[in-house]
Amino acid sequence: MTEEKKQSEEFEPKIVAFLCNWCSYGGADLAGVSRLQYPPNIRVIRIPCTGRMSPKFILEAFRRGADGVWVSGCHPGDCHYIAGNLYARRKFTLLNNLLHSVGLEPGRLHFSWVSSAEGEKFATVAKTVIAAVKAAGPNSRFVKLRVEVA
Amino acid sequence: METRTEKIRETAKRLLSEGKVDLVIGYRAGTIPLRTAPYFARTVEEAENLIWNSHCRINLANFLPRRKDRVAVTAKGCDARNIVNHIIENQIRRDQVYIIGVPCEGMVELDLVLEKEGRPIQEVIESNGKLTLKGRDFSTSLDRAEVLRQNCLTCAHRNPTVYDELVVDQVAELEGVDRYVDLKELLAQSDAERYAYFQNLVKDCIRCYACRDACPLCYCHVCFVDETMPQWLGKSIDPPDVMTYHLLRAFHCTGRCTDCGACEAACPMNIKVRQFTRLLEKDVKELYGYEAGLSLEAKPPLTVYRPDDPQEFIK
Amino acid sequence: MAEMILKKSDLAEFVKSLLNDYQVLAPVKEDQKVNFAPVEDGEFLLDFQNTFSSPKHLFFPQSEKMFEFSTDRADEGACILKEAGKKTPPRVVFGIRPCDAKAFQVLDKIFRNDQYSDPYWFGKREATVLIGLGCNHPCPTCFCTSVNCGPFHEEGLDVLAVDLGDGLLLKPLTEKGLKVFKQAKGLKPADDQAGEKAAVLKSEAEKAITSKVFTDQIAQRAVMELFEAAHWERVHESCLNCGTCTYVCPTCHCFDIQDEVAGAVGDRVRNWDTCMSWLFTMHGSGHNPRPGRKERVRQRFMHKFKYIPLKRDGEIGCVGCGRCINLCPVNIDVRDVVRNMNA
Repeated sequence: MTEEKKQSEEFEPKIVAFLCNWCSYGGADLAGVSRLQYPPNIRVIRIPCTGRMSPKFILEAFRRGADGVWVSGCHPGDCHYIAGNLYARRKFTLLNNLLHSVGLEPGRLHFSWVSSAEGEKFATVAKTVIAAVKAAGPNSRFVKLRVEVA
Repeated sequence: METRTEKIRETAKRLLSEGKVDLVIGYRAGTIPLRTAPYFARTVEEAENLIWNSHCRINLANFLPRRKDRVAVTAKGCDARNIVNHIIENQIRRDQVYIIGVPCEGMVELDLVLEKEGRPIQEVIESNGKLTLKGRDFSTSLDRAEVLRQNCLTCAHRNPTVYDELVVDQVAELEGVDRYVDLKELLAQSDAERYAYFQNLVKDCIRCYACRDACPLCYCHVCFVDETMPQWLGKSIDPPDVMTYHLLRAFHCTGRCTDCGACEAACPMNIKVRQFTRLLEKDVKELYGYEAGLSLEAKPPLTVYRPDDPQEFIK
Repeated sequence: MAEMILKKSDLAEFVKSLLNDYQVLAPVKEDQKVNFAPVEDGEFLLDFQNTFSSPKHLFFPQSEKMFEFSTDRADEGACILKEAGKKTPPRVVFGIRPCDAKAFQVLDKIFRNDQYSDPYWFGKREATVLIGLGCNHPCPTCFCTSVNCGPFHEEGLDVLAVDLGDGLLLKPLTEKGLKVFKQAKGLKPADDQAGEKAAVLKSEAEKAITSKVFTDQIAQRAVMELFEAAHWERVHESCLNCGTCTYVCPTCHCFDIQDEVAGAVGDRVRNWDTCMSWLFTMHGSGHNPRPGRKERVRQRFMHKFKYIPLKRDGEIGCVGCGRCINLCPVNIDVRDVVRNMNA
């Protein structure tokens, strides 16, 4: 028990969070301004809209050693660009299924809709994501450390 | 098969002599047994070389994007759907393509034949559903049905759905086929088992990109593998790069793939790359009710949305 | 030294006697494909056509680390390239076909010039003893006899083995081969009968190769005449530019070098590359001297059948192994292309 606790105490996951500029980034900002606490494991990358997300970004984040990836955007119907998140929703569904089918552990890849008024939700989701990634442990399956060839 | 060959030649000659098309894209006999080659007939004499047999595995729709001429293409069910796809994606105009539809009863899997007959084969004669294989000091025969391709055994559209003419009567579609039996079993396994399965699947990949080059959907001027700023994946055979390649390529085919199997036919290492594209095909069918290339008016699933699209996994 | 006989029942003894000083590689079947793999006894194939991929990867692996480096200024050797990669242990490769061995000879000429000798290639070559296996039954697609090679050709081998049925007749060809002979167990002196039998097998094998191509006209014609021939318009039409031919070919040798950096450490890696790719000749400016499939397809055949013979004293850049014929997804047959070039 002590061993496990020690391990999880030592492991601090690195989570890349892709946040859409208009809603989720604003929500994160609000969480900060409101001094809502959540663990410091996320590294934010601001994108104009979740419609900008590409599967290449998610795979690249895992390749570079991210233990978890979180993508968050406006609620469907509230997209600043009208429908960016609606197109993204289909891509996320398919990519989420694909990555899990090929062996991505549950708890590493997360998606959410957080509006710029939802500071509380942002902090709550952040805590959920960080806990889930922590439980999944260090990324060993989709990471590329050094090239392993002859 | 013989009837199809005759009819294809007849149609091709007619279209060429009437000046309806500049070129007929079909198949010619291979220079070695069990193969065919894509053939580009420009004259009535050349049209005599067109054939149709159990080895027409390469998808001729691959040769359509960005063409400026008018072409006729012999197309089985899956290939015709890819032609529809190209028209929807503005890679060729409908009036440029004359679809010579060929109702198909399946193509033979080369590796299965070679597995069953390990000795060098010098000649193959196909007749009445049987393949007679002849080599030095031997002659054996196989039923076509024993060696059909996996995608053909579970084919959902043997008859072209969009065409300008059919060379023979439509064939009966397969009934009661579950295309995803093996995937369902796979998905029931643990994530560790699935990870091991897919890592093992691509361990022999030599990054030749034959799968991509044989695929009619892959027509990007600059493929993601050649992008450099940023570079998304390495060029070596390091396993993480190999997996990245296959995952992203399959994803780029989402909602467009017709499971024609040209990718597996082209792969020199016999890798079952369709396992990736089929995962996505299954989701597209089950979640969005879409199959690629069935009609010219259809909208590919990633170009549209519905307000009630599934999203249980989104917090 | 005289030729020796190795009975098939003594194969295990032979292999084991070498294991002290050499790693032994021989043809084995993995997943329906025959390839060279380490063996420790006599359990390997003598009855096979040829390996699936060419054995050039023994000396020229598909991906190979050349150097490693660190960019961390705190490191003593920061930003200095250090040699990477493992040294190849001495090894014996059993069962190389004469076409593949001849290909190594061709590549020797390419990996060495008057100023530079590729240490990665030659380091492995020097560490390796090649025991070839003559082809008693050439494949229907073989045409080695048309390209300065043959089913019992000796160039590039250290020992040539001929399968006589119950035993192998081994003929040492080089000092390296002799060294293995002296150390190996299970060898017995061969009698004249064995030599005669081998000669008969050789001539039958050569007769069995019915696929012929002629390259005499190609040798005589000017480069531009071959380059501007009309048939190239038709050859490239069906080519997918997939690169399969280049990767399975025993004489194709082009490569790309890239640095792969992970944080503050990196590796310089050499990977096989293919002239079938548009990126192969793409300039940074955006200009591509081989912009289309026609130029790239033409390049491959011109390189093998005209440029290499011109630059390497008549050596042809093809050994007639037939792998490209068997594996090309659109059945572009090199024999037909060469016939058109020579017509």
